[in-house]
Amino acid sequence: MSEPLRILAFGAHPDDCDICVGGLAVKYTRLGHKVKFISITNGNTGHFSMGGGVLARRRYDEAQRSASIAGVEYEVLDINNGQLLPTLENRWTIVCKIREYAPDLIICNRPNDYHPDHRYASQLIADASYTVTIPNVQSLTDHLLVNPAVAYWADTFKRPYPFTPDVAFSIDDVIDTKIDMLDSHVSQFYEWMPYNQNKLDQVPTDPAERKKWMAAQWVPPMAKDADRFRDLLQKLYGEERGAKVKYAEALEFGEYGGKIDETAFKRLFPFF
Amino acid sequence: MADQLRILAFGAHPDDCDIRAGGLAIKYARLGHQVKFVSLTNGDTGHFSIGGGPLARRRQAEAQCSGRNAGIEYQVVDIHNGQLMPTVENRWLVVRIIREFRPDLVITNRPNDYHPDHRYASQLVADASYTVTIPNVQALTPHLMYNPVVAYWGDSFRRPYPFTPDVAVSIDDVVETKLSMLHCHTSQMYEWLPYNQNKLEQVPEGDAERRAWMAEQRLTVMAKEADRARDLLVQLYGEQRGRAVQYAESLEFGEYGGKVDEVAFRRLFPFFD
Repeated sequence: MSEPLRILAFGAHPDDCDICVGGLAVKYTRLGHKVKFISITNGNTGHFSMGGGVLARRRYDEAQRSASIAGVEYEVLDINNGQLLPTLENRWTIVCKIREYAPDLIICNRPNDYHPDHRYASQLIADASYTVTIPNVQSLTDHLLVNPAVAYWADTFKRPYPFTPDVAFSIDDVIDTKIDMLDSHVSQFYEWMPYNQNKLDQVPTDPAERKKWMAAQWVPPMAKDADRFRDLLQKLYGEERGAKVKYAEALEFGEYGGKIDETAFKRLFPFF
Repeated sequence: MADQLRILAFGAHPDDCDIRAGGLAIKYARLGHQVKFVSLTNGDTGHFSIGGGPLARRRQAEAQCSGRNAGIEYQVVDIHNGQLMPTVENRWLVVRIIREFRPDLVITNRPNDYHPDHRYASQLVADASYTVTIPNVQALTPHLMYNPVVAYWGDSFRRPYPFTPDVAVSIDDVVETKLSMLHCHTSQMYEWLPYNQNKLEQVPEGDAERRAWMAEQRLTVMAKEADRARDLLVQLYGEQRGRAVQYAESLEFGEYGGKVDEVAFRRLFPFFD
């Protein structure tokens, strides 16, 4: 490998990247590429019986555990959960984060998503795109000479238009590691999300049992995604291998980042 | 002339209107109509080796040069480049500019565009639309009794849907003047944009040489816009003339300004026989 790729994923909360591109991250790091996750908020409201600083520190630890499993770097910004806004100050923060990492590819959610933090996270990435190349903006952090490509991870929203993948990946080889990443986020997968979905009473107490219980909910959507992206998987992996992919993640390219031509595609996605 | 039109174009930066609607502006001006360009930021970050006040003043002078070439008025608003936000204060500013000019047609970019200033400029124009008709808003600037038509200039973005022109105009007769407008923006055409595209070393030395170099790139875009709008050009100019158009600019009507019915269309676009 000549130069390792640098992949930078932004999520609004300290488990968003793990859920949506955890498999892809593991695939990159196993090939020796560099991956960094940034949670733009500290997650300090994502619970029913704890909150504030205690929760932020707990979730930070969970993120670091997930990162060590995936072999990625994980940064958590200290912005309160549920209070992310597309301000100029936050734009400058994102600009500097992107410049300092100098990524080949930026990944985040699409601008239309159910959580306000998700929407504003995506808006901040859009507002930072191109801006990162302007020397007169945040002049004390060296500008980039190239506008990094931006890609959105998959979602199921239909408006204003459904997610339309440009690249899809088999994560069959890394699915267990991805589940281990999710298992790190105890406060979320076994406490907050079950509570929020009114099924806290269903969570098994035994760690091995609850992990199985969690996987039984989170693996089927990844199988559904493989079916949803089947045509693209077969185009990329060939008819036979593509037909066999069980679990998938996918990306749609954004229009405001750098263009991904055929050469860039081959360089950015060394999986086919 | 019985009916003098008033055309107001908003760009985020002091060359945006020129690039996307410069030809149209010249055509209106040559027919005796009033055109005004407004740049909602002062452009003070659009360079690699200068910035701040000196750059804003340089770009103001470039905008005035361009305005003189086109025969139009050019206002540059003193908001920092890269910091335009859709605040209520900025909305009132846009409301007042629209009310004071009393335009028949407002032109700007679509709300989805690569630059944050572009997106927020379009949002501000949308936020000011209809609002300009409300007497209790910015009550000391007389409100309009009508909601001006809003139209978006052409772009190549596909999401959430591709640009869909409602009117396309041949700029073959004014393309040299449009290039003269762009040529005024020395700091952009020959310095910042080539720098930002990593091709500063390709800019020719002499003034005529670099104008030709710039023209070649810009004309390609205008020719593409003609091809993209070919069906519409044929519909508007007739088969033979429509096919022959080399360079075009086009507009898509917004949904929050006044409606463009057939009568308004003929009045607003006096370019077709």
